[in-house]
Amino acid sequence: MPFVTIEKVTKIYESNGESAAVRVLTDVNAEIAEGEFVCLMGPSGSGKSTLLTVVGAMNHPTEGRVLVDDIDVYGLADERRADFRREYLGFVFQQHHLMPYLNSLENAMLPLATTNCSSKEKRDRAMNVLEKVALADKALRLPNQLSGGEQGRLAIARAIVNDPPLILADEPTGSLDTKTGSEVMGVFLKLNALGQTVFMVTHNPENSALAHRIINIVDGRIE
Amino acid sequence: MRISTIAFANLKRRKGKAIFLTIGIAIGVGTAVALLSLSTSIKEEIGSQLDRFGANIVVVPQSNSLSLDYGGVSVSSVSYDVKQLKSEDAANVLDIPYRNRISIVSPKLLGAVNVEGRDVLLAGVDFESELTLKRWWHIAGRKPETDQELLIGYEAARSLSLIELVTLTDAQNEHASHSGSHQSSEDQFQFKIARDHLRIAGIDHLVAGVISQTGGPEDQMIFGSLAHVQSLLNKPGQLSLIEVSALCKDCPIGDIVSQISERLPQAKVSAIQQSVRARSETIERLTRFSAVVSAIVLAIGSLMIFTTMMGSVIERTKEIGVLRAIGFRKEHIIKGLMIEVAVISVLGGLLGWGAGMLASWLALPYFAETRVVFEFQPLLGVTAIAAGLVIGTSSSFYPIIRASRLDPSEAVRYV
Repeated sequence: MPFVTIEKVTKIYESNGESAAVRVLTDVNAEIAEGEFVCLMGPSGSGKSTLLTVVGAMNHPTEGRVLVDDIDVYGLADERRADFRREYLGFVFQQHHLMPYLNSLENAMLPLATTNCSSKEKRDRAMNVLEKVALADKALRLPNQLSGGEQGRLAIARAIVNDPPLILADEPTGSLDTKTGSEVMGVFLKLNALGQTVFMVTHNPENSALAHRIINIVDGRIE
Repeated sequence: MRISTIAFANLKRRKGKAIFLTIGIAIGVGTAVALLSLSTSIKEEIGSQLDRFGANIVVVPQSNSLSLDYGGVSVSSVSYDVKQLKSEDAANVLDIPYRNRISIVSPKLLGAVNVEGRDVLLAGVDFESELTLKRWWHIAGRKPETDQELLIGYEAARSLSLIELVTLTDAQNEHASHSGSHQSSEDQFQFKIARDHLRIAGIDHLVAGVISQTGGPEDQMIFGSLAHVQSLLNKPGQLSLIEVSALCKDCPIGDIVSQISERLPQAKVSAIQQSVRARSETIERLTRFSAVVSAIVLAIGSLMIFTTMMGSVIERTKEIGVLRAIGFRKEHIIKGLMIEVAVISVLGGLLGWGAGMLASWLALPYFAETRVVFEFQPLLGVTAIAAGLVIGTSSSFYPIIRASRLDPSEAVRYV
């Protein structure tokens, strides 16, 4: 049984008075098995990021449904969907979106802020993921005191601190140079090797070459 | 890490905005505190000034007889069934339980005398208390100091040819208006004392002063010292009425009237309701004015907080979106933002209370004519903090709810 099932997903951004309605995804079907590393590739504007947010329980599809671990993600109530994101998903954004006023340890701990774990447990878990991404020695640094690669790794640390079964990454190396991009890819490979499912949007053929499988999307349709 | 950790870190990061909001709330709360504190103190002053400005209780003898009229108050004349008021009754008024609320007791004896062929009402008064009670009297000349000295009402002085009207030139008029009303020179009264001697009952008296026209009963009267008039009218130790000015804080005027009635069973004691009502209305108006000004300032403060919070939410759209994307519920977003607002509001309220108290303490001497005691009000501090909290949270409510409803995918796209 696939871990992620994308079933006949269509996404249309409705007209808002200023712009006409835009059809971004059309009848998308895809499956990802547990422990698989899948890259989503396609030209700009093809709907890659939209599909990732739809799978990430953040963007309600106009039609179709998404099942993760047999849970109909959009069948959940809004607040339960927030819980689902916290428990099942780790999201890595292209711009990292780290909190500039929190240090590395606090950024890594952020998803745990709403859980009932003790402060010590939260700290231990955050330190543990910082070690996994080789940032333990920079735990007290603010994001602007880290290099681009380190920020990318910190974003990954924040995504995996809850030990989610599915990691979604939107061009995580897009803003990085080749060397730091490789560093970040190395972390994803390591996590995948440990059993976590990775679904990554990328433009970079070198990155996609490391994945188990590539899904191509053009004009909102899977090829 | 808790949600509060994020809230505090955010406050620390956005120090400028936090300080700006705190000052905004402090100004709103501080203005309200200062106005409230000032108006409380000034209300006390106005109240006590109004209480001293004329009598609000009149004591007359119980009588079935015909009476003379004094300013609309019935005063018994010599007749049957008269229960006379005695000089010691004035002292007895000050012997009631509410004696600390009584500021002035002014006993009087009234009687008609014929002076130079004209019937005039002669009043024996205690000049000290009478002049304190009748602060609106302007005297040309001076206060009588001996038994043989008199104070004459304007109309009485005119009919007895004691004064001469003078026509001021424009230059004199201007001088008079610039020189202020404290000058005791006769030129500001547009009349001058032409004759300063008056014979009553065969005794020669000195006219010490003439009261400027008031439009009241005193215009027709001659005032002498109480003991002297009692002797002139051959009514030793007798009084026609006692005027009482009661300090009307919380206005227990009815109780004061009852206590005087109990103490002086032979007298009829009545409150001049008009003056009591005027006092209450004046104070009520002052309170309402302060409340309206405070409400306006607080409304402006709320609007400022609202716009700043809306700006802050828009500025933090991406951050809120990221938090929603990593699993924060709406309630978590609301809680975090509310903690920030609550901290700012409590600080603003506290600061506003301190600033307001300080401002009212500094401003009080400029607003109050007399020396008013500044009251340090800790309870107002609690109210100020609560007010800050209510203003802060209510003004931020809509922006915060809006923030919590942000669609995470839209928010993350908003870069």
